[in-house]
Amino acid sequence: MTDGSNDIVKTVRTFIASNFYLSDKFKELDPGLSLMDTGIVDSTGILEVIEFLEEKFEMVIENDEIIPENLDTIDNIEKFVRRKKGL
Amino acid sequence: MPLNKEVMNIDPEKEADRICHFLKEYLHEHKREGYIVGLSGGIDSALTLTLCVKALGSKNVFGVILPEKDSNPISERLAREHAKSLGIEYVVEDITSVLEAFGTYEKRDEIIRKIYPAYSSNHRIRLYLPENILEKDSINFFSIDIMEGDDIVFSTRLRRKDSQVILAATDTKQRTRMMHLYYHAESMNHAVCGTTNRTEMIQGYFVKYGDGGVDIEPLAHLYKTQVYSLSRHLGVHQGIIDRPPSPDTFNSHVSDEAFFFRMPYEKLDMLLYAWENDMDERGTASIMGLGTEQVKRAFTDFERKHTASRHLRMLPPNMFEGD
Repeated sequence: MTDGSNDIVKTVRTFIASNFYLSDKFKELDPGLSLMDTGIVDSTGILEVIEFLEEKFEMVIENDEIIPENLDTIDNIEKFVRRKKGL
Repeated sequence: MPLNKEVMNIDPEKEADRICHFLKEYLHEHKREGYIVGLSGGIDSALTLTLCVKALGSKNVFGVILPEKDSNPISERLAREHAKSLGIEYVVEDITSVLEAFGTYEKRDEIIRKIYPAYSSNHRIRLYLPENILEKDSINFFSIDIMEGDDIVFSTRLRRKDSQVILAATDTKQRTRMMHLYYHAESMNHAVCGTTNRTEMIQGYFVKYGDGGVDIEPLAHLYKTQVYSLSRHLGVHQGIIDRPPSPDTFNSHVSDEAFFFRMPYEKLDMLLYAWENDMDERGTASIMGLGTEQVKRAFTDFERKHTASRHLRMLPPNMFEGD
């Protein structure tokens, strides 16, 4: 398991880059970019992200936590994971 | 037009005439003799049937009722009653055996058994999205309830792959219905008349090559609330008008609102209108008595559903250079 912010960002970014189609425009995958507004990840795709986070960071994501402010950008995901893991 | 309750108003007589003209023109242009309408027992197909009969008379309209083992029996009863009241010929063809031969139920049930090993034919299921998006923000994901009678015995969020397989299996019901409708249409030199309304069309609430696989869509410009007002004006069966809209595809009842739209139709249509017409969130909120955040969430949901369903509304891209 990783715990540093950069590690979380890197891990999530690598997962998204290798599992979702990124057009040239979004190749950089800026951590502040909305994953859903840009269409990089759709609502079914976000479930795949959730499943990855649960497995990789050994945590359970509750239904109430499936909200944009936790999951819509890599930055938000990083903060969410840190908060959940008490890091 | 600024946003107000009147934007949903239609002149029902004029609207009915306009649609009847549209229906007749298509037949003339494509040399077909009538329409086939798949009757689900819901309001959209009931209004479509009524309009077809108004346009062509009962002799040139043929109704097809296609229940399967998960359908609510009330659907078939209402569809029959409405067809009889309009004096059209119709058939009832149970598609359960076709779906069984394809493996629709088996494919779906295999996933459900993986989630809940005790699942059996005594259980009923329903899928739904998170609660009303105006009340609470959430990204869309499907949950499943497994029921015994009216009691929920198991409930969980579906994993991506599992929801995809269950929905893909369920969509074969609509695609099988399309196949039946075209059998009748071709054998009678008729056209298949679609029943998708504007509220559904914009957000992709139909199955590609299923209920979206038709020759003409006479309701695609009408919001659901307008479908209701036209239906009331044209005397559609009151039992159908009073019935809460549902996909009627799972053996336990789920409303359209819970399964897809995440808000009641009265609010949905007005908000959709505002979104389509690029109205600002604050003004829309004030007129509708909502908070700006609520309107923002609704607009975001529309935008995402619209974008995600764009491929449903397109013909297959091609490089053909003919007409």
